[in-house]
Amino acid sequence: MASNDEIQQHLNEREYSAGFITDIESDTLPPGINEDVIRHISGKKDEPQWLLDWRLQAYRHWLTMKEPSWAAVDYTPTDYQSISYYSAPKKSGDGPATMDDVDPKLLETYEKLGIPLREQAFLAGVKNIAVDAVFDSVSVATTFKTRLKAAGVIFCPISEAVREYPELVRQYLGSVVPQGDNFFAALNSAVFTDGSFVYIPKGVRCPMELSTYFRINAMNTGQFERTLIIADEGAYVSYLEGCTAPMRDENQLHAAVVELVALDDAEIKYATVQNWYPGDENGVGGIYNFVTKRGECRGHRSKISWTQVETGSAITWKYPSCILKGDDSVGEFYSVALTTNYQQADTGTKMIHLGRNSRSTILSKGISAGKGQQSYRGLVRMAASAEGARNYTQCDSLLLGDQCGAHTFPYVEVKNPTATLEHEATTSKIGDDQLFYCQQRGLSEEDAVNMIVNGFCKDVFDVLPMEFAVEANRLMEVSLEGSVG
Amino acid sequence: MPEAYSIEQLRAQAFSLFERLGLPGRKLEDWKYTDVSRLASTLGETWWQATSEQPAFSAEGSIEDLDAYRMVFVSGVFVPAQSKLPDGVDVLPLADLLKRAQSDDSKALFKLDTDAPLMNGFVAVAVALAQDGLCACIADGVILDKPLYMIHVGHGRSHVLSGVMLGTGAEATLIEHFIGSTDEVAGLSNTVTYARLAANASLTHYRLQQEHAQQYHMGRVEVKQSRDSRYVLHAVELGSSLSRLDVLVKLAEENASCELNGLFVASGRQHIDHHTRVDHIAPRCVSRENYRTLLDGRSHGVFNGKVVVHKGAVKTDSSQSNANLLLSKKSEIDTKPELEIYNDDVKCAHGATIGQLDQAQLYYLTSRGVPEAIAKELLLVAFADSVLVGMKDKTVRRFIERAAFAKLPHTSGIEGLTHER
Repeated sequence: MASNDEIQQHLNEREYSAGFITDIESDTLPPGINEDVIRHISGKKDEPQWLLDWRLQAYRHWLTMKEPSWAAVDYTPTDYQSISYYSAPKKSGDGPATMDDVDPKLLETYEKLGIPLREQAFLAGVKNIAVDAVFDSVSVATTFKTRLKAAGVIFCPISEAVREYPELVRQYLGSVVPQGDNFFAALNSAVFTDGSFVYIPKGVRCPMELSTYFRINAMNTGQFERTLIIADEGAYVSYLEGCTAPMRDENQLHAAVVELVALDDAEIKYATVQNWYPGDENGVGGIYNFVTKRGECRGHRSKISWTQVETGSAITWKYPSCILKGDDSVGEFYSVALTTNYQQADTGTKMIHLGRNSRSTILSKGISAGKGQQSYRGLVRMAASAEGARNYTQCDSLLLGDQCGAHTFPYVEVKNPTATLEHEATTSKIGDDQLFYCQQRGLSEEDAVNMIVNGFCKDVFDVLPMEFAVEANRLMEVSLEGSVG
Repeated sequence: MPEAYSIEQLRAQAFSLFERLGLPGRKLEDWKYTDVSRLASTLGETWWQATSEQPAFSAEGSIEDLDAYRMVFVSGVFVPAQSKLPDGVDVLPLADLLKRAQSDDSKALFKLDTDAPLMNGFVAVAVALAQDGLCACIADGVILDKPLYMIHVGHGRSHVLSGVMLGTGAEATLIEHFIGSTDEVAGLSNTVTYARLAANASLTHYRLQQEHAQQYHMGRVEVKQSRDSRYVLHAVELGSSLSRLDVLVKLAEENASCELNGLFVASGRQHIDHHTRVDHIAPRCVSRENYRTLLDGRSHGVFNGKVVVHKGAVKTDSSQSNANLLLSKKSEIDTKPELEIYNDDVKCAHGATIGQLDQAQLYYLTSRGVPEAIAKELLLVAFADSVLVGMKDKTVRRFIERAAFAKLPHTSGIEGLTHER
C-alpha cells in the first residue's frame, strides 16, 4: 500500500531536535571502573563512609552478576571499562550558590531545550514547575528551592541530600530497589552520581509540580542517576522527568534507578517523557536506556501512578513497577511507547499485590513502525495475602509497516481466590476502512493516520499532567509527520 | 522423497539428546512454574526406564458405549487382543512400523527435530525408548467412518510415540484417553503424538487425561498443517498428580485453521500445566484458543499460550481466551498469554481473566428461588461448558461432561441438565 510507504518515509525523516552538543569544558574521569573510581566519585561528593561502603558492596556484588539476556532486544553489549563514570561541567569553587552563578552556557542549553531555569521566566509564564537540571553526572541547578522549603518540601540533588539529610537518605536509599536487585541497578548503586531527592512531609500537598531534566552531553560517558521520592503520610506530589542527549554515532549508556515510597494515604504521580537520542535511520548510535524504576505503596490507602511516553532511545529496558503492600493501595501504569527505525523497546510493568483490596490498572499502548521492535513484558502477582485485590490490564499494539514487530509477554500469577484479574491485548494495523473513512471525509492520509494514532494513545495522554500532554502530543506528531507539517 | 534414516539412528540420536537435556529445571523459562525434580525423587534415578510387566486390561473407565476403532495400550504396550483396527486404512502399532524395512513417509513423521521449540528431555526419551504407539496413515480422500480410540492404561513407567498422517481431503477423529491403573502406584506416562495434515484434511483430536492420583503425565502434541486443513483439539485434564502438555501447531500453508480448547478441573495437590504454541507461517491462517481452568484444594494450574506470527503471514487472524476460576484459598494459577508478531497485517487478540464466581449471577439465581448450592453448580457447569460445547461427538462429550462434573466441588443431582441439547 502506497500510504504505508509514505508513512514509513515520514517516520524515517523524523527529526531529533534535541541532538545538539553543548561545548563546555568538563571535568571527566578517565574511562574504566574499579574501586578507586568509586572512591573518587564518593570523595568528589563528600560522601559519608556508610555510603561509600554501600557503593563498594554494590560494586562487589555487580562483579558477580551477568548482564541480563532475557529481554527481546538485540544490541552490542557495552564495554563497561571503556566508558567514563563521572563527567561534570567545570566549575569554580563550591558550585553555584544562586542561579546567577550557573554557567550561562548551561542555562542556554536548557533554554534551547525549552526548560527555562530562571525563576522569573517561570513566574512570567504559565508554568509552575520546580526543576532540577541534571547535566551528565551532576545537578547544575534546582529552582524554587526556597518556595518549596517554606512548604516543608525537600527538593534537591541527591548528593546534597546525602550531606544535609543523611538520616532520611540512609533510611530509604535502596529500600525499594536493593543494591543487588539486578545487573544495572547494582552498577547504578556502585557509581550513581546525581539525581533528585524529594521528601514531602506529613499531610503536605506539594504546591507545584516537581521536575527533573536529564541531559547527557559529554562523549563516552554513561549517566547513572538515582532518584528517591518519599511521600510521608497524607502527602501528595506530582513529578515529571524529561531527558535528551546529543546525536552521536556511539551508543551511550543510561542506567538509572528510581525509588518511590508512599506511606499511609500518600500519593505519588510520576510521569516520564523519554526522548533520548534514538539513533539514526540506520540504527547507528543512540542511547541504551536500562532503567530500574520501582515504587512501594508502603502505607494503607497509598497510591503510586507511573505514566510514561517513550519515544527515544535505541534500546529501552524498563519496567516501572509497584509493590502494593498497604491495604487498599493503588498502583497505576500508563504507557505509550513508539519505536521507529531500528529502535527496540522491551518495557512493561510489575504489579505485586500484597495488601488487601489493593487495586492496579495497566494501560499500555505500543506503536511500532519501520524496523522497530517492541515488547510488552509485565507481571501481575496476587499474593495469598491480597484478599479482594483487583487488576485490569490492557495492552494494545499498533503496527505500521511490514518489517516491525510487536510482542507481548504478560505474566500472571494468582494465589488468592478472591482476587480478580482481567487481561486484554490486541495487535492490529491501522485499518484500511478507518483510513478510507477519514479520507473520504476530506482528511489527508497523513492527518488521518495522525488522528487515529492520537486516538489510540488518548487514554494515556489523558492522564498526563497538562504540560506534558501537550509535549507528548507534539512529540508523537513530530515522530509521525516527519518533515511535512 | 524423505531422507532415508534408520530407526536405530533415530533412537540413538534421541537418547543422546535426552542425556544432554535430562530433566528440565525450573531455571528454564518454559518450566518456571512446574517443578519436575520430584519426579526423580519419587521414581528414583532411573525414572525414565520403562516398566517391563503389564497388568491385564480391564475396560473399566473407558468410554464403553463408543462405537470406534479401539486400540488398547497397557503401560505403553499395544494389546492386539483388545483392539480392533480399521480395514483398508494403514493403521498399525509403532512396533510393527519400526520393523518394516523400507523407509517411507510415515517414518519421516517421527524424525526428531532437536531444535524444535519446547524441546525437552521427556520428548527425547519418548522417541528413544517408546515401545509402542499408533501409526495411522489415512489416504487421500478417505473419511474414516468411526473415531480412532486409543486407550492408554497408565501403569508404572511408559513411553508412547504416535503419529497420524492425513492425506489430501482426508478426515478423521482421534481420541486419546488416559486411564490410570487401579494399583495407584506412582509412575510416569510419557507420550508424544505427531499429526500431519495434507491439504484440506481435517483432524479432530480429543485428549482426555484421567490418570490415577499418583501418576506423572507428560505429553506433547505436534501438528503441521498444509493449506486449507483444519485441526481441532479438545484437551481435558482431570487426573494425575502432575501433568504437563505441550501443544505445538504449525500453520505452514495458506488458509489453514486450528482450534485449541482446554479444560482443567483440578483438586487436591494436582499440578496441571499446558504450554501451547501456534506458529502462523503462511498468510490467511486462523487460530482460536479457549482455555478454562477450575482449581480447587491446593491445586496449581499453569497456562502459557504463545502465538507467533512470522514475517509474511499476512491477514493472520488469531484470538485466545483464558479464563480461570479459583475455588479455594490455596489454589494457584499462573498464566501467560504471549504474542510475538513480526508483521503488520494481522488481527491478534488475547484475553485472560481470573476470579471467582460472580456474586451478581449467584444473587440473580438465588433470588429466583434456586438454592445456593445448585446455583453455584450451575455457574460452574456453565463456565466449563464453553469448552465442552465445541465437542461434536455426543458420546464422547457426555462421557467427558460426566467425568468433569463429577470432579467439580458441590456437584450433586444436576447431572442431567447439560446432557441433551
